[in-house]
Amino acid sequence: MDATPAIRVVDLRKSFGTLEVLKGVSFDVHRGSVVSMIGASGSGKSTLLRCINFLETPSGGEVFIDGEQMGFRSDAGGERRLQPLSEINRMRRDLGMVFQQFNLWPHMTVLGNVTEAPIRVRGMSRRQATALGEECLARVHLSEKAREYPARLSGGQQQRVAIARALAMQPKAMLFDEPTSSLDPELTDEVLSVMRELAGDGTTMIVVTHEMGFARDASDRVLFLHNGLIEEEGPPAQVFGAPRSERCRQFLSKHLQ
Amino acid sequence: MSDAFWQSVDLSLFWEYRQVLLAGLLFNVYVFACSAATALAVGLAAALLRVSRAWPFRWIGTVHVEVFRNAPDYIMIVWVHFVLPLLLGLLIGRRLEFHPFVSAVIALGFVYSGYFAETFRAGIQAVPLGHIEAARACGMAERLILRRVILPQVVRRMLPEAVNQFVSLFKATTIVSLIAVPDLMYNVSMVTAQEMRPLPLYTGAALTYFGVIWLAATGVRLLSERWRNKIYA
Repeated sequence: MDATPAIRVVDLRKSFGTLEVLKGVSFDVHRGSVVSMIGASGSGKSTLLRCINFLETPSGGEVFIDGEQMGFRSDAGGERRLQPLSEINRMRRDLGMVFQQFNLWPHMTVLGNVTEAPIRVRGMSRRQATALGEECLARVHLSEKAREYPARLSGGQQQRVAIARALAMQPKAMLFDEPTSSLDPELTDEVLSVMRELAGDGTTMIVVTHEMGFARDASDRVLFLHNGLIEEEGPPAQVFGAPRSERCRQFLSKHLQ
Repeated sequence: MSDAFWQSVDLSLFWEYRQVLLAGLLFNVYVFACSAATALAVGLAAALLRVSRAWPFRWIGTVHVEVFRNAPDYIMIVWVHFVLPLLLGLLIGRRLEFHPFVSAVIALGFVYSGYFAETFRAGIQAVPLGHIEAARACGMAERLILRRVILPQVVRRMLPEAVNQFVSLFKATTIVSLIAVPDLMYNVSMVTAQEMRPLPLYTGAALTYFGVIWLAATGVRLLSERWRNKIYA
């Protein structure tokens, strides 16, 4: 059995000027597992996620996707150099990302949003991409909205389309950056329900979330971040039931109902 | 009112010369089309320079916009037609002459490229960063993102402003008659010199320009409103 983790993060650091946001974070995400990241605003959760697919360039440390280093390589002299953007883009194809603000392209239909990257990036034919797109829309229960434009959908529907768009690239792992934070409470459930289904299907997921219920019930592991470091890490039962970190305990007592 | 008055406002003279005058109008349309294409291409290039991360490119873009936005159409047409060939001729050691049509297209194309550059720049900067990041997250290259995500949104957002600039450009094509481009105004002045009745001819020309511009601009605005409403509900 191949034990290479789908995603490996080693001593990841990120600074914005003099502000150090990530101070050396390390963790693994195994295939088929769901890792939730929780923590207060400003703890570095979203920055960590964005460093994984190099939407932010890390200041230090390494990221490995299926054993291959992302973003950096060592030259003949052993010096670390940033890879060309084409290489970073090649690896980004294998990481689907869902954003807090959905970020659907408003000038394309729902199906157009979902098929754009498979056609333009993976080079699929329009017919193949359409069939795949329709399958992904069915997975998020939005087949009937294929010909609509995003502006005509509710927030929950737009976020489900965003999930379908990411799935259509057939990624090795999905990254969710606070996917329900922009949604009204009544629309949150429809998105979380789709995410639970994906988790149940064995999708490798990293989810930055404030939805403690999802983190507790649907995750295999939970990471609690504080001040750019992982302070607590473990299965949900341990993190939620018997956290070792006092700060984690305080955070959970504020956020758990 | 006297018969002389009614005779002088009788537009049938304009109608009598309609073929010649229509040919002139078509030349306006031809100059407009070529100038507009030039203005859009050069304007887009200048806009991309303006939003570049490299300061030398930004500086070049800014200089382009400031020079051409502040250049009067008339001065530019005269300078391009009479002065530019002299300068280039001195550089290459040969006598040069520009065809009036070429001078008109270059002058109007570059003047309006300054306006279109600002329209494009505002449109590019209005595209939400999240849309670009979503494309990057899918593995799209920057050129593909520009072509498939940014520019389509720029066109839709800036279409009303662009229509206004196209109207201004079409109106500006009337001054190309100053360098003997055979447009509507040039042909009107030739016929006037022959018939010695300026009132019906110049009034007819004014009404023709108004009618063409109003119809075209209204049509484009209606179509673009429907197009935009479909997307921006």
